[in-house]
Amino acid sequence: MKITKTVCTVLLAVVCMVAMAQDSFAVQPGFDGKEIRIAQWGPQTGPAAPWGSVARGSAILFNLINEEGGIHGRKIKYFVRDDQYNPAQTKAVAKELVERQGVFAFVGGVSAACGMAVKDYLAQNKVIWCGPSTAIVEYVFPPQKYLFGVYPLYEDEASILTKYLVEKKGFKKIGFFYQNDSYGKNGLAGCKQRLATYGMKLVEEIPVEPAEKDLASQMLKFKNSGAETVIMWVNPTTAVIALKTCATIGYKPQWVSSNTLSDYPLMYKISGGLFEGVITGAFGLTPDSSNPLLVKYREAAKRMAPDERWGTFFLAGILFAEPFVEALKKAGPDLSTEGCLKALNSIRNFQGIGPEVNFSEGVHQGTDSIQIQQCGPGASYILLQDWAFNDLATWKKK
Amino acid sequence: MIGQLVVEGLAIGACYGLLAIAVVIIYKTSEVVNFAQGEMAMFSTFVAYHILLHYHYPFWLAFIITMVFAILLGVAIEFVFLRPAKEPTALGLIVLTLGAEMLLMGLAGWKWGAEQKYFEIPMAYNVTHEPIKGIIISDWAIGVFVVAAVLMTLLYLFFRYTRLGVAMKATQQNKNAAKIMGVRVERMFSLAWGLSSLMGAVAAMFFASRATLDTNFMMEPFLRAFAAAVLGGLMSIPGVLIGGELLGLIENFFGYVWPEWKPIVAFLVIVIVLCVRPSGLFAKHYVKKV
Amino acid sequence: MDMKREYYEDIELIGSGVVLFWSAVLLLFLFTLPLYVPNYHIYLLNVIIVHVILAVGLNILVGYTGQISLGHAGFFAIGAYGTVFLMTHFHVPFILALPLAAFIAAFFGFILGLPALRLEGPYLAIATLGFGLAIMHVIGTWDIFGGRMGLHAPPLDLGIPQMGFSWVLGSDVSMYYLILVIGIIMVVGAINLMKTRIGRAFVAIRDSDIAAEVMGVNLTIYKTLAFAVSAFYAGIAGGLFGFVCGFFDPFTFNMILSIIFLVMVVVGGLGSILGAIMGATLITYLQYDLLKNVSEAPYVGEFLTNISRKWFTVIGLENVGGIALGLIMIGIVIFEPLGMYGVWIRIKKYWMTWPF
Repeated sequence: MKITKTVCTVLLAVVCMVAMAQDSFAVQPGFDGKEIRIAQWGPQTGPAAPWGSVARGSAILFNLINEEGGIHGRKIKYFVRDDQYNPAQTKAVAKELVERQGVFAFVGGVSAACGMAVKDYLAQNKVIWCGPSTAIVEYVFPPQKYLFGVYPLYEDEASILTKYLVEKKGFKKIGFFYQNDSYGKNGLAGCKQRLATYGMKLVEEIPVEPAEKDLASQMLKFKNSGAETVIMWVNPTTAVIALKTCATIGYKPQWVSSNTLSDYPLMYKISGGLFEGVITGAFGLTPDSSNPLLVKYREAAKRMAPDERWGTFFLAGILFAEPFVEALKKAGPDLSTEGCLKALNSIRNFQGIGPEVNFSEGVHQGTDSIQIQQCGPGASYILLQDWAFNDLATWKKK
Repeated sequence: MIGQLVVEGLAIGACYGLLAIAVVIIYKTSEVVNFAQGEMAMFSTFVAYHILLHYHYPFWLAFIITMVFAILLGVAIEFVFLRPAKEPTALGLIVLTLGAEMLLMGLAGWKWGAEQKYFEIPMAYNVTHEPIKGIIISDWAIGVFVVAAVLMTLLYLFFRYTRLGVAMKATQQNKNAAKIMGVRVERMFSLAWGLSSLMGAVAAMFFASRATLDTNFMMEPFLRAFAAAVLGGLMSIPGVLIGGELLGLIENFFGYVWPEWKPIVAFLVIVIVLCVRPSGLFAKHYVKKV
Repeated sequence: MDMKREYYEDIELIGSGVVLFWSAVLLLFLFTLPLYVPNYHIYLLNVIIVHVILAVGLNILVGYTGQISLGHAGFFAIGAYGTVFLMTHFHVPFILALPLAAFIAAFFGFILGLPALRLEGPYLAIATLGFGLAIMHVIGTWDIFGGRMGLHAPPLDLGIPQMGFSWVLGSDVSMYYLILVIGIIMVVGAINLMKTRIGRAFVAIRDSDIAAEVMGVNLTIYKTLAFAVSAFYAGIAGGLFGFVCGFFDPFTFNMILSIIFLVMVVVGGLGSILGAIMGATLITYLQYDLLKNVSEAPYVGEFLTNISRKWFTVIGLENVGGIALGLIMIGIVIFEPLGMYGVWIRIKKYWMTWPF
């Protein structure tokens, strides 16, 4: 009986090993005659899940291309993976995608920490990464061979917005309300750099944790500082709480924000209309634009993903992927990573639904310009200032 | 300015207090810290949101339906998850509630998506009064105070004068004795969960109307409420409400001076308080019998 | 069946030839694992072993000593930041920096153990929770730790670069062997610790701290020691995690992580080293791999997509993973109070008495 038992257990172990061994197969080159594999990570669950719509948005563009017959005869196979905004999980996801699915390139990708965790890994494996949906200087300076940024840097955006506030609006007392992470701190740095050129200082700068629900003391501090305008570098929920709290305590500064809050219909709705009058940065066409390309995407989205809301982040998913698709088209039927890199490096004045994108060997940050918009009545978009670039941009000077 | 900080601190503190009472009702009967408390409340609020959005009922009707739903949800969680557990340890029970939390959060995310929603209650945050110059109070804050006071009174009357309330109190004090006296202890457990879920849902509606409604919006308030409950001593209901108010005041005053430390100052104060009074401010120190 | 006749049988590491044989097989299996497992899963294995080390340490505190901790992500963070900080700023070689950082974590564990002398249950939970949040916050305010921007781990060099001897572990597989060796040392250390006077004192405190005190167990020493040992394990795990992940910021060590650690220990089985190992493996595997990509899952993917379309939203389909994890946690606790260790005992009994 004892022998039977031992034999059974050994058999079980062997079966397990064989089952596991069969799972492994060689890495594929990223594309073949029929398909090109492209992937993106994005939080679909967990506290950052609202950003997940970026990854789902890119799917519209790829589906549209596949419907039109693909790129030089190759269809795009698109993977979305949920990383729950956790760098350790992003790395697991990236390894699985690169080494098991054999993806050719990544597009988009939310969260600075998650991106930083996989940046070097992707470069080592010669996987192109185009258009991360976070902007930090480390991505594009010094230029990384395989990494191409489309999103304007937060530093630049804050600098341009501050310039507008000081020069055009004539504000003297500026407060800064920022999320206590790299997103908020980059914005703060840009704003301070610009103010230094005018010999001005922020009257108040207050950090906030992303999940905080009570902002009364922070808002009272701003009110007490007498700031005429408050720039906020925060997430939508924090912004809504701030606006509602200020409505209660009777404080009405000119609110200014990064493009993170430029989804006016959403912000207008969840703030109960308080978002009217807020000035934000913007770097793409508005969701209600009548630009023919955008109309095409909008119709496609209605058809392919009827329960998605056609918002700015969803749209941004398409925007971040556009330059890469352009490069794939330019690279021609004889595809290779080097060829694709060459095509990406030669993109000049590319105009999709976002800003004009230029890449070259030395500059992998595709755009340095933003527009300034204001939320009008009924969540309408009012253009205050057309494309402007940041003359103080640090990443260009170095 | 100080007056305004006091008003805001008390208002948010009362919200924490309401949720903390929900924590305590369950803790006193089942002796488990219910980590699903926030998510049960979140789910109920989503139900109210769904009713308002898709059936266009008036708010108060939706409110009543939601309250009924909240009670049923609490009872169901107790009945389906906690009751079948055989000889669970205290930590096992905590993991059960954590499981329930993930389940509810997942269901809400699956049904309503991750995007923030707008939720409104009749007590608006932007209708304000200025009784004393320099102190502004909104309808929302008045609503919180009134609701907290009314619920406290009702709970007091319930535990004091109704048969059911007395039976629940008996269960909390001594399960075996209550059983001998003919109280159906299991039903009291379910009932406590239902009652607690209802209290949580009321608090969550206030939080949602002040912030936004999404699947994660009750995580942070729950931690604060748990802290408030511990500060108040986990035993007496008025003590817990006072714990919540203290928490709100501490946070707002410290938050005004050192905004960066606002998120953790309350917890640090609690650790210090606990070092002096290990069972919270308003509970008699529990002496373990050998 | 596990009849112990004398004291020395009880404290033996390896009880019998059968155990020795299977332990050897297991070790052989673990050391040859990279041969059968595809490369992309090695990273997952590394994360699992790191979590195993932490769970074993947490189990010493929670399962054996009966104290609760919701702040272990704080010790984990101290380990990660401490190791990297010592290596980059003081140029301490890795083999020294890792235990040093773990000792720093142990020191903080000792400090946290002091309030634990008077607190228990939910009161202790809140105190430890506050500690975890405070650590995350303090690290985030110091720019020397990279602030909120996060920190890159330096190359993992096993040698002493100052003396011209360097041995850089670049690949996941080489890191796997390092982590595996450390993991085995830590696990064996924990098993042995539990068989010493200290371990028995811990168990006595769990069962009744008053009785333990009466019998001569010094509560002050042993409770703080339990926290310190547990924090030491968390520190080692954190130091390794920093290199496995390569980049981390304070938000990586948030409260949810502390809760997940506690779940690992309880689901695995309180008061059992094997249980902690199984719990950490199961929860990490579920979270990182199995419950992902619901729509692409074989057999159920299609079905769930259809359900979503009808009653839920397709957008939120990934949440099914969270629902499943919650149900697994609930199921294990309901049906097996001893956690996965209880399941293991049952399987063992079944095989031992088979076919009866």
